Amino acid sequence: MTRDSTHFEMDNDEQIDRSLALWEIVSVVISCLIAEWVITAVVGESHPLIAVPIVLAFALMFLSHRLRGESLRDLGFRLDNFGQAVGLLIVPMVIVSAILLVIGYFRGSLDFFRWRGGQSILGMPLLGILWGLLQQYALQGFINRRAQIVWGPGVVSILVVALLFGAFHLPNPALTLATFAGGLLWATVYQRAPNLFALALSHGLMTWILISTLPGGLLHGLRVGYKFIG
Amino acid sequence: MDTTRLKLFRILIGKSIAETLFVATLAVGFFFSAFPPYFHGFGEATPDSIAGWAVNNRAPWERVEVQLFIDGRFAASGVANLSRPDVSSAGWARDEWHGYNFSVSSLSVGTHEANVYAVHESGGGLRRTLQLLGYPIRFSVDQNGKFTDLVDRGQPTPGLK
Repeated sequence: MTRDSTHFEMDNDEQIDRSLALWEIVSVVISCLIAEWVITAVVGESHPLIAVPIVLAFALMFLSHRLRGESLRDLGFRLDNFGQAVGLLIVPMVIVSAILLVIGYFRGSLDFFRWRGGQSILGMPLLGILWGLLQQYALQGFINRRAQIVWGPGVVSILVVALLFGAFHLPNPALTLATFAGGLLWATVYQRAPNLFALALSHGLMTWILISTLPGGLLHGLRVGYKFIG
Repeated sequence: MDTTRLKLFRILIGKSIAETLFVATLAVGFFFSAFPPYFHGFGEATPDSIAGWAVNNRAPWERVEVQLFIDGRFAASGVANLSRPDVSSAGWARDEWHGYNFSVSSLSVGTHEANVYAVHESGGGLRRTLQLLGYPIRFSVDQNGKFTDLVDRGQPTPGLK
């Protein structure tokens, strides 16, 4: 085998890898869109059929991690860089929280018990953190990692992750903007310190602060997809 | 392509096929649930109303809710529960109580089009859909407000008086 043909094979393998990674992203996005737009419109949001695209998406993610030899630690289920990730998150979170608290104070919309109609203040963030962990795993542990295969680490892959995260919350305008901004922050932090626990904590807390400070009507009850218009 | 990439490729193909079949099944199921093919009916313009009959073949004893649209605008709604012995004697219904009659006034002189739809509720009340009964009814209104049916139906239609 000549040196040129080896180079060609490496280039070819890289190209196949990129194409597969892009396809993986598209496939997961399609599953989300089916769940948000098709199933909710056809049978309603609480129908068990909603599990079908979600199970398919998670099956793909798990099998893909296995085939690509990614460990839980690679994905960000680790504690050694928790402090580093929190350090990167803390300043933007404090700034955004302060802005939201000021808005809430002056608009008279501060209510820390608003989430889920007065659910316990202790149960609320815990639920948010678990939900956040699930979303951050799919968004960063899968989509961000695949985006880095396609476009490499940096601005483009971060922007793709943020745009997709925002798009999952369409057509809710406030939530789309908030998740796009959150997506930018979390994707950036993940590329520097991949820790899903820190991101989940941040996701849960920021969701709670967002709900507690902005007027309820602005967030439309966090409804997204067909549920927003249906 | 090495084995790992080939496996991933197959998984992606498999998922795509599974989702396509799933969405197609949902779409077909949705169509038959929202627009079931068992509503039958007929409508015509009488001198002062739009009248006809509507039957749900799946529930032949049920009275069908109907809506009238004239020139594309909602005009009236009601339940097809008037006596139409000709409909049951022609074998279109199990009993005679499937007629409707919408008295329409204040239409301008000239030609108009009426559409009568069967209202169907599905998805546990999640949605209501309309299905056209028979064909669009073209009719004219004269100076005295009397209607003339303009539809050329050819052979006499079963169920007509």
